[in-house]
Formats: sequence, C-alpha cells, structure tokens
Amino acid sequence: MSTIYEELATVVIEGDSKQASALVQQGLAEGLTAKEILDNGLIVGMGEVGARFKRGDMFVPEVLMSAEAMQAGLQVLRPLLASSGAKLIGKVVLGTVKGDLHDIGKNLVGMMCEGSGFEVIDLGFNVPPERFVDAVKEHKPDVVGLSALLTTTMRAMGYTIKALEEAGLRESVKVMVGGAPVDAEFAQRIGADGYGSNAVAGQELAQQLVGAA
Amino acid sequence: MRTNYRVNSGVRFELLSRDQLQELFEGVLHVLEYTGLDVQHEEARDILKKAGAWVEGERVRIPSYIVRDALDKAPRSFTLWARDGNPKHNIHIGPGRAHFGPGPTCVNFIDPDTMERRPYVKSDVPTVARIVDALDNIDFCESLGTVGDVHHDLGALYEFAGMFPNTSKPIVAWSYDWHDSAGIHQIAVAEAGGQLAFEKRPNYVHYCEPLSPLVSTFEALDKLIFAAKHRVPLVFTPCPLAGGTAPITAAGIIIQAAAESWMGLTIAQQLAPGLPFFMGGVLSVMDMSAMILAYGAPELSLFMAGITELAHFAGLPLWQTGGCTDSKTFDGQAMIEGSLSCFFSALTGGDLTHDVGYTESAMTGSVFQLVAMNEAIGYARRITRGIEVNEDTLAVDVINAVGPNNHYLREPHTRRYFKSEFWYPQLHDRRNFEEWEMMGRTTMKDRTIDRVRDILATHTPSPIKPETHRVIEEVLAAAEDRVRAKA
Repeated sequence: MSTIYEELATVVIEGDSKQASALVQQGLAEGLTAKEILDNGLIVGMGEVGARFKRGDMFVPEVLMSAEAMQAGLQVLRPLLASSGAKLIGKVVLGTVKGDLHDIGKNLVGMMCEGSGFEVIDLGFNVPPERFVDAVKEHKPDVVGLSALLTTTMRAMGYTIKALEEAGLRESVKVMVGGAPVDAEFAQRIGADGYGSNAVAGQELAQQLVGAA
Repeated sequence: MRTNYRVNSGVRFELLSRDQLQELFEGVLHVLEYTGLDVQHEEARDILKKAGAWVEGERVRIPSYIVRDALDKAPRSFTLWARDGNPKHNIHIGPGRAHFGPGPTCVNFIDPDTMERRPYVKSDVPTVARIVDALDNIDFCESLGTVGDVHHDLGALYEFAGMFPNTSKPIVAWSYDWHDSAGIHQIAVAEAGGQLAFEKRPNYVHYCEPLSPLVSTFEALDKLIFAAKHRVPLVFTPCPLAGGTAPITAAGIIIQAAAESWMGLTIAQQLAPGLPFFMGGVLSVMDMSAMILAYGAPELSLFMAGITELAHFAGLPLWQTGGCTDSKTFDGQAMIEGSLSCFFSALTGGDLTHDVGYTESAMTGSVFQLVAMNEAIGYARRITRGIEVNEDTLAVDVINAVGPNNHYLREPHTRRYFKSEFWYPQLHDRRNFEEWEMMGRTTMKDRTIDRVRDILATHTPSPIKPETHRVIEEVLAAAEDRVRAKA
C-alpha cells in the first residue's frame, strides 16, 4: 500500500501528469479512499516540490509541471471528494486588483494553490473591490489573494481590504497579497494577513493561513 | 534549408587586425634572428646550432625559417587528460576554447579557517587541489603556493605529490630543477600506466619560466629538455614587466615575450616534433609608484589579449592570465580586477588561463578568491557562449501559441531550454530583501566562505591507484635522501 503513495509523490515531483492520473486510478482500484490518496500521495509530493524549490534544487517551470501533475490526479479525485463530503484543504479567491491588467503572477499562485489541494476561484484581472466583496459572500473562501504589479495599482489592495471591512466580511477571511512592488511591510500597513514573494511562497502562505502547513 | 548562411557561435572579440598581427609576428622573428637571446645551457645551444642557428658564446640568433618550422610542428589542438579517465575533467585545447586554473608559487596563503594571511605550507596543497576538483569552472590545477615547511629544494615535488591524489583534473607542474621534474614525471607515469601510455594521454603539463629580457636560463632549459625528451606538454612562459624588464609599449612587450617563449618552442620542437607547447607569458606593467608587477592592471588583460591573438595567429595555444588581483583581501577591488580579467580571458579564448586565486600581486594564494572567480567565470562563459539562432530558438510558433497577455512558464519550449539558456548563480544572491534578511543578510564573502568550507567538508576526489601511492612515497623518500646527502 505504501509503495503507491511513494510512487504518486515521485510522479508529482517529476511532473508526470499521465502517470499521476493513472496511479490515482490504480489507488482507487486497490481500495484506497480519495482523501487517503490526496493526503498521503499527492500532497506529500507537492510538499517535497516546495522544499526543493526553496533549496534551489527545482525551478519554476518544473514546479509548474509538478502542479499540473497534481491537478491531473486531483481531477480524478475531485468528484469523489465532493460526494464523500471530504474537504479540500481550503478555498481561495484570487484576483488582480482594480486598474491592473497583469495576471500572470496571480495565475501562477492559483496553479500552485490548486496543486497543493486548494479550490481556487479566479476572478481575473482589473477586479474592483465590490467584486471581491461579492465573491467572498458567494464562495465563502478561507483566503482572498490580491495581486498587483504596478506601484500605481498597489493602493487598490488597501481599498479592497477596506471594502471587505465595510461589508463586515474582513473577519471571515484571511487576506494575502503579492506582486512585484509589494513587500511584507506594505502588507502589514494595509492590514493584510500576509505577503508572498513568489508563487510558491504564496501557496505556502495560503496553507499557513488555513492552518494546513 | 539555409544557404550561404553564416553563424557566429559565441561572442566575437577581436583586438588586432591580421595586418597588425603580421607586423607583430615579423617583429618577433626579427628579434630572434638579429638580436637573439642568451641561452645559458650548452646542450640547448648544441641543439640550436645543429638546427642552423648562429651561436656566438651564449648568444643564439635563430634564422626565421627555423622558428617557422617549429611553429609548423607544434599542434594547435590536442587534449590534456584527466588521470582517472573522467571525460568531464579532460581539457580539449583548440580554437575558441578558454580554460581556467589557479597559479603557482605564492609564498603566503589565506588560511581557510582563520582567514588570516600566513606562510603557505604542505597541508595547503590538498586543500587547493580538492577545491579545484570540485569547481565546475576550474579546469586545471596548480597549487597557489610554494610549500614552505619542507626542505627548500623539495617544495615543488611535495606540491605535485600533494596535488596529484587530490584532483583528477590535469595539473600544470612547475619545478626547481631536473630532479624535481624527473620525480614528478615518475609519479604521473605510474598512474598513466607507463611512458607510452602517458605519451598518448598526458595528464600533466610542465611549466618552465625563462628570464626577461631575453635570457633562457639554465634551469628553465634543463627542465624544458627533460620535458621534451619525455614528451610532457610544455608551458614556456616569461614574466616581463612593461617599463622594467620589457619595452613600455604593449606591442613591444608582446614581441619580446613571444621571442622569449619561441626560443623554448624551437628547442622543444627540435627534440620532440609535435610536442604540445603553450606559449607564454604573463605580461603586465611595473607599477611606477609601488614598483610591483600589477596583477590587477587593465594593461595585463590588454597585453594578454594581444599576445593571445598573436599566439593563435602563429598557430599556438596560449598560457593566459586572469582571476588575479593586487588587493590584499576579499573586497571590491579583488572582485573587479578578478572578474574583469576572467571575462577578458574568456573573450580571447585564452587556452589555459592561470593565476585564478592570486591576491596581493601574486604574493598570497586564496581559495576564497578562487571560489568567487569560479562564479565570475561561469558568468563570463554564459556570455561568451552567445546566442543560438535556429528555427526552434526563434520561437515564432511559441509566440503565436501563447499570444497576448499570457505566459511562457508552462510551455514545453520553456521547459526544454530553461536550464541551458540561463546561467544559474551559485554564490550571487537574487532573493528579495525579506528572504535575504531571513537567510542571515549574507554577503558574497560570507557565501564564498561557506562554499569553501562546504567543499572541504564534503568533496572527495577520485582516488589514484594504490601503486601510485607507493611511487609517491618512493619519490619523496629518494628526494629526502638526495638533499640529506648534499648537506
């Protein structure tokens, strides 16, 4: 039984989507539950990917391949997880803030979060504060992630947090911010709960914020 | 299909035109034919006389056809072999290939534990060799020092005996005299599996140094003759100082140095036609206030680029110089002087670039300078590798597939190339401020120190044969007996 977990972790690390999906099928056929496969195989693999990335032993294109492999496995598991009532590790609403059309960084954070077992709702770019408010009401996420690439638009992060406060939703979610001009000090100043300096850091921060890391 | 398509592989660097090189070339031949050199070795004079040179007392003048014949015989391309057969440690000498390594004979050493300057001792030799063995961009080994804690005649022998087991990269060995050379050769041949096997795959190069201006000393030639007779590839490298022991002009010092080196070439090719021969030497300025040979001077890089082009014009590989500094410590000056000379050497395609790790104008060897320069050489090599242009690298289809406001990180094209197209620093820091702060706010110096200590704690070079160990012990014991008998 334990070898299939190891194999799953290995194919996630190697970024082999085909094998990841095949192994998940095999695990289910052998009688493992979706939750067991997720926790003991896929997430273990992604954990190792994050550690290797931090050490400088893996690079962004490889991490994304691993995230894709993880997603391939998750695609098989998702309906089963939903029907069994087992929860993914959390839900993240992501968006690039108002006035900013850059969404690559935010997309990468989204991929990484999905890869580590989050459900991700991506609001796209140029997202006004009220749309974040609506999304929080609708999806009830654990984490809201705000992205900005420009110094001119990073202020919109603060306005978005303020809008969440005014709608009485601020206490119900954790807010994380990221993007080139942003740093930890800025995050603190605008009242965010955390700052991630890159896609992997953002994903790890989301895990910390939901108490899963 | 592409027709009449020209490719520039790597960065093109050209200092002198063919007309200028031809003038320098003729200048060297002129000096050898009309001025000549003092050749302080009888056998060498006999060899030259037999070849057709004019010998008057010690002064030897060589008609240019003899020098041209020697240039014709010496190979431009050949291989220096790793003693253990590791193909990654072989050095292929040839056009467009620059290689790097430390220099010899510094009297002091920066202690790897205390970072203090102190005399160089026997136990420093394996330290340097193991670090050389571990560094990706350091291709050959010298010891960065003169062993001070053994009998003063035996430093070179102990040095080779300490380097050989601790790196499988080719070694450039210097020696005091014929006895050293013979001992060194005995060790190298034992590992190679006999003289014939060594001749086919030489695992070390013999370094000899004539005197500027225009003297081929007895010791330099005695060692050269030994090496030629045993077919050991040679470096014959003078060390002239512009304005002191050579003309002050760049063209002048290049001509004189080439003449000094080609005297050795002519003798070596008479004895051993086709013997691999690296033209020298180290050309720099005599600093007119400090009165030292400046190892960090821009003129050094410029002179060396000029003589490298002359060597290549004449069909010889060159013993280049770089990665060295006049600074006394690991500081901004050391990094500027070392990095720029490494980059310049890489641009010129200097065949073996030595003195990487020299500080204090060659007075003090430093493995910290060496390890930092390994990073600089990696940086330089990425640039000199240039831009590859073909249908796949043009990426027109990839650009079309990705389109506007998307990203390339998930493209197979990106995955295929991200490791080869980019250079990945090992010591340079590119993290954001918070991460840098979290990791202890380290400087380049801190990270270099860590790398040195990490290599010393973890790196194990491939071993030599047990019988070679025995030969090393025998050679050292015989040498100790010899100096005892002399006393």
